[in-house]
Amino acid sequence: MSSRESILKNLKAARSPFVDVPPVENRREVVLQDDLRPEALRAHFIKEAEKLSCQVTICASAADAIEQLLALLGDDRLLLSWDLPHIPLPGLAEALEHAGIKIAAPADAAVRVGLTGIDVALASTGSFILFSGPGKPRAVSLLPDLHVAVMTAGQIVPNLETWSATERANQIEDFRQTSSVLIVSGPSRTADIAMQLVLGAHGPAAVHILMLP
Amino acid sequence: MTNKANEFASASRSAIQTPEMVAAVAFATNSAAAKRNIAFEVNGTEHGEALRQQAAEARRRALRKLPELLEQAEARMQANGIEVLWAKDGEEASQHVLNIARQHNIKHIAKSKSMVSEEIGLNAVLETAGFDVLETDLGEYIIQLAGETPSHIVAPVIHKSKAEIRDLFMERLGMAYTDDAAEMTRFARRHLREGFLKADMGISGGNFIIAETGTLCLVTNEGNGRMVTSLPPVHVALVGIEKVIETLDDYATLIQLLARSATGQVMSVYANLINGPRRTAEDGGPERVVVILVDNGRSKIYNSTYAEALACIRCGSCLNACPVYEAIGGHAYGWVYSGPIGAVITPLLTGLENATPLPHASSLCGKCKVVCPVDIDLPRMLLDLRHDLVAAGHAPLLWRMGLRGWAMVSRSPLLFGLVGWAAKWGSKVLPKHRTIPVGPLGGWSKSRDLPEFAPETFHQLWAKREKGNDHEQP
Ligand code: SF4
Repeated sequence: MSSRESILKNLKAARSPFVDVPPVENRREVVLQDDLRPEALRAHFIKEAEKLSCQVTICASAADAIEQLLALLGDDRLLLSWDLPHIPLPGLAEALEHAGIKIAAPADAAVRVGLTGIDVALASTGSFILFSGPGKPRAVSLLPDLHVAVMTAGQIVPNLETWSATERANQIEDFRQTSSVLIVSGPSRTADIAMQLVLGAHGPAAVHILMLP
Repeated sequence: MTNKANEFASASRSAIQTPEMVAAVAFATNSAAAKRNIAFEVNGTEHGEALRQQAAEARRRALRKLPELLEQAEARMQANGIEVLWAKDGEEASQHVLNIARQHNIKHIAKSKSMVSEEIGLNAVLETAGFDVLETDLGEYIIQLAGETPSHIVAPVIHKSKAEIRDLFMERLGMAYTDDAAEMTRFARRHLREGFLKADMGISGGNFIIAETGTLCLVTNEGNGRMVTSLPPVHVALVGIEKVIETLDDYATLIQLLARSATGQVMSVYANLINGPRRTAEDGGPERVVVILVDNGRSKIYNSTYAEALACIRCGSCLNACPVYEAIGGHAYGWVYSGPIGAVITPLLTGLENATPLPHASSLCGKCKVVCPVDIDLPRMLLDLRHDLVAAGHAPLLWRMGLRGWAMVSRSPLLFGLVGWAAKWGSKVLPKHRTIPVGPLGGWSKSRDLPEFAPETFHQLWAKREKGNDHEQP
C-alpha cells in the first residue's frame, strides 16, 4: 500500500472528530467597518497603509504621479518594472525615455527601485494584492529597496473577506490560474534581533504608494 | 531532531540559571503577548471572542472532513500544476526531497522557516548527502550559524540577546562591530541575498492548504519566504497533513487571526497564495512546485482524544502567555515545539515515554487556552496526558507510593485520625518557619512555610457541636 493510501485509510478509519461543533451562523469580518462609501474606504486605506509604514502620495493626475516617480528615482538610470501597460500611467514610457531611464531585467538585484501596479487594495488593513502573470514579474516588488506601487482609488475594496467572496463568486478559475497571489502589507520587516523592529529584511525597506483618483 | 524532552528537569534548572536568556525571553514574550491582546481587543472583547470561535470552527470543520479535504486539495493542486507527494514519516519525506534534489542536480538549497523540516531533521539529511543548505529566515540563519535549534515557533532566536548575535556575526562572518540591530540586519541581508541568487532549489513549509482552490499558503514578514518560492527553479513545500482548510473565506479569517496572534500585526507583511509553477509567458517563478504532505504521527493523533491539537496554526501565542515558558525558554522542552502546545504534541508525536516530564510542565493556569486563536483546550489535554502517564506506569515511584498511602489512610477513619494526630505533634517539633530539612518535602518547603495544623480537627469540632458544646452556635 502506498503512503497516500495508508494515510488516507487511517484517517478514514478514525471516528470523525468535532461532529458536535455547530456551524457559524453569522460570519464576522475581522475588522469592523461601518462606512463603506468610496471616500471613506480611501481614507481608511490610507490610514492603515501609513500605519504599516507605507508612504502614500495622492496624485491629481498621471502626469503628477510620473513626476513623483521621477523624483523618487533621483539619479538612478535603471528601474525594475512591470510591463508598462500594467501600470495605470499613460505617458510613462515617453517620460522615462526622456529622462534617460531604462528598465532592467527583473532579476537584476542591483537596481534600487521597483515599479508595479496593483490588482486590488484592502481598506481594512492597508494591504494591496499583486497577481503574478505575463508582464508582471514577482521580483519587481521583491528585490529592490524601494517598491513604488501605482494604484487608483477605485481599486479599493473593504477588506479581505469581501475580496475572497468576490473571487469565489466570480473568478475562482482566474484566481487558480494565477501562479502567485500576494497580499502585501507594508515594507518587509524583522524583529528577530532582540525584538527590535527593522524595516527592510529581505524585501523592500520602503513602500511608496502613488494613488490616482 | 533528537528528542531530549526527558531531560526537562535538568535542562530547565540550568535554563533558569542563565539570567540573560531568561531576561531576553521574558521581555520578548511579554511584549508579544501585549501586542496580541491589543490586536484582539481593538473592536471590543466580544468581537475578539467571536472571531476566535469563528476561527476555531473553521479549523475543526476542516479536521472533521480531513480525509475528504486532503483528497480534494490533492486533486485541485494537481489541476493547478502542483505535484503532490505523501510521506508517512520523516524518513520518507526526506527521501522525497533528496530524490527531487538529485533529479535536478541541485547544489545550493535556500530554506525558509519550516517547523516540519525541523521535526524531521531535514537539514542534517541534506547536508550529509552533500547539499549546501542555507536557512534564510534571519532568526533561523542565526540559529544555523550558532549550531543551535529554534526555541520558539515564531521567533526562533528569542533566547539570544543582541550582544550575543553581534558577537556571533563578528566571529563567524567578520562583521564590523556595531550595536545597532538595523545595521546587523542589513549585514545579514547582504550575506543572504547572495545565497538566494545562487540557490537552485527552495524549500518552504506551509501555513495552510486551501482545499477548494488547491492553494498553498505561506506567510512571511521578512520576505525570505517569497525569495525561496519565487527565485529558484524548483520549490518544494513540506506541509503537515493537518494544515488543510476548506475555503478561501476560511483563509480570510484564519490568516488575519494568525498575524494578530503571532505578532499583533493586522496582516503579515507578505501573505502568499501559491497556485502552482510559473505559467506560460510568465517571467519568474519556479518551473516546478512540489507539495509533500507529511503525516509523521499526525494520523495517530487524529484517531485519539487529542485530535484538537491538530487545529493548531502555530501562532506562538500560547508560548508567549505561558509562565513556565517565560521562566525557562524553549530549549528545555527538548524538541522542536515548546511551550504549552509543545508540551502536548511532543509526547503525542514522539511517544509519551519519550516526553514524560512535559505534561507536568504547566501550572494549568489556563491562559494558553484563552489566547489561542482557535481555542484549543491545552490544559484539558495536559491533564489527560498526566492521566495517561499514570495509566502507563510512568508516574514516579514516590508519587505512586504516596498516593496509594493516601488512599489507604483516607479510607480508614482510625488511620486518618492517627495520621492527623501524628502530623499535629510532628509539626510542633519542626524548626522555625517549619521547614522540613530532609525527605521528599525538603525541596518543597525550602520556599514555602509548612501550614500550621489547627489545634482541633474537623472531626473533633463536629463531635463537640453535636454534643451541643459549641456555644458560638446560635
Ligand atoms: S496551540 Fe493555539 S496558541 Fe498555541 S501555537 Fe497553536 S494556535 Fe497558537
